[in-house]
Amino acid sequence: MSKNILEIQNLHKVYNNGTHALKGVSFEVEEGEFLVVIGLSGSGKSTLLRCINRLHEPSHGKIEFFKKDITHIKGKELRNIQKQIGMVFQHFNLIPRKTVLENVLTGRLASISTWNSLIGNFPQTVIDDAYRCLEIVGISEKAHVRADSLSGGQQQRVAIARSLMQHPKLLLADEPVASLDPATSNSVMQYFEKINKELGTTIICNLHFLSLVRRYATRVIALKAGQIVFQGLPNEIDEKWFKEIYGEEAMEVEIK
Amino acid sequence: MSYLREFKASDLIKKTKEKENQKSLIKAYFLDIFFVFYAIIVFQRAIYYKIFLEMDELPFSWGEILILFSISVIISVLWTSTKTSLACKILGIAKDNKIAKYTNEIFGWLLFNLTFIAGWIITKISIVDVFSPEGMKGANRIFTALFTPEFSIFDEALFAIIETIYLALLATVISLPITILLSFLSARNLMKDNKITFFIYYLLRIILNFVRSLEPIIWAIIFSVWVGIGPFAGMLSLMIHTKASNAKLYSEAIEGINEGPVEAIKATGANKIQIVWYAVVPQIILPFLSFTIYRWDINVRMATIIGLVGGGGIGTMLIQYQGLAKWNEVGLIVIMIALVVWVMDYVSAKIREAIY
Repeated sequence: MSKNILEIQNLHKVYNNGTHALKGVSFEVEEGEFLVVIGLSGSGKSTLLRCINRLHEPSHGKIEFFKKDITHIKGKELRNIQKQIGMVFQHFNLIPRKTVLENVLTGRLASISTWNSLIGNFPQTVIDDAYRCLEIVGISEKAHVRADSLSGGQQQRVAIARSLMQHPKLLLADEPVASLDPATSNSVMQYFEKINKELGTTIICNLHFLSLVRRYATRVIALKAGQIVFQGLPNEIDEKWFKEIYGEEAMEVEIK
Repeated sequence: MSYLREFKASDLIKKTKEKENQKSLIKAYFLDIFFVFYAIIVFQRAIYYKIFLEMDELPFSWGEILILFSISVIISVLWTSTKTSLACKILGIAKDNKIAKYTNEIFGWLLFNLTFIAGWIITKISIVDVFSPEGMKGANRIFTALFTPEFSIFDEALFAIIETIYLALLATVISLPITILLSFLSARNLMKDNKITFFIYYLLRIILNFVRSLEPIIWAIIFSVWVGIGPFAGMLSLMIHTKASNAKLYSEAIEGINEGPVEAIKATGANKIQIVWYAVVPQIILPFLSFTIYRWDINVRMATIIGLVGGGGIGTMLIQYQGLAKWNEVGLIVIMIALVVWVMDYVSAKIREAIY
């Protein structure tokens, strides 16, 4: 029996400028799923992910992570949840002028005392773990290179390694391949697939390209103007659904 | 189950927007009172009295000002409440119609011209004085002396200018730790999340703005009375101004960082100090270094100026020879200052280039 690790009920998000980004989103995520969220820019995909790990404050509704209500927790309790949820971003968000290894080590900051992190004193076991995470994404030979000298695809792999350092129970990926070229996109997506299948990590990933969705997703949610308009298997998204989600004008673009 | 009840988002949206608009409207009232009062008072004093009545001595009474102020309050409150005023336009709550557009354009144009005319009258601009024969003769005398510098005081001047450079360096370096601390505490993006920190941020901004608004030369006057005339007073005055103005520059650098890494580190569950140390600090080290070198460069120039009021170094020497009307000596000092400032400017630019 698989169990739900995440339950979201009637989630709303209203930003301070009055934008109503999420309008009553409800869904569940089972352990081991590769859930892909699709939708136009501005449909609320990013907001949804940022509400889950509480980078943004939900306005209304409920988020349960392993049956624990995390909707409005604060401080240490919140950091303890964030520690268990990894996140990968569209623009990689690595720290410039720092080496790959240093960047990956920051994934473990939550387990290090403030003092040790200020003087950069990471235990050897953590450093070994960082190399292991770099190996998973096949980039350990770049450990001592400055992160901003890498190519986009390599930087994203470093960002994945950083999130793996958290041993995440849930990995969020906010359009992880949107700033990469098609070939690199595919290779980065393969690492996500590997993490999902081999490490059993549950993944929620925002994507643009339907071809990638069909190849990697085990389940799909489509958002439109802050509401879920489709929930189902990737191959259920036919022409009709596609037009429903992306608008009449849209044309599907293949990415090999 | 409270989370399942119907969520009235439209109420929340309306409330947020109304609150914003109300705040803007209150601001608009004050701003309009200022604009109108300014326009009336400048018109009355600079244009009506000076140009129409051709008075030399302007009469002044608080009663008159109070009357003008009351008039402007009435006018501007009426004007703002129609939402067609200039302040409404600036704060983005003006109605979008032709009347609002034209009144704003005409009033803005009026304010600009009034200010310009008043400025012209106050500074008593007279092209005739600049090119009068006597004026030209004076200028000729002083420039001739300046361009034939007296080299007998070279040693003394060299010593004084070295004093100035060191004074500036010390003021810059000593103020650095406190400047960095202040800059973090006055960076909006680091302080806005919490009410207490936001209060500290706000208070610090006010204090720093006040300190910065007093030029180093005024601080030098204060400190030369406090600790006595000399390089120490000069250094203290530079130091306090350096802290205030660099804290502003630094905190702007902090506010301008890429928020991406901050978000990423925050998402790993790191605490506030770790976020600042790992995501903010690496992004600001170079701008900080660059600003600090630039500030040393500025401080050398400032140190010269504050020397004029007793801050020690080359400035003090300059004012002494100027007081004795020894223009040839002054000439040498001016040339040396120009040389040092030029070299400092060049070197600091090169270092800053190399850093980036």
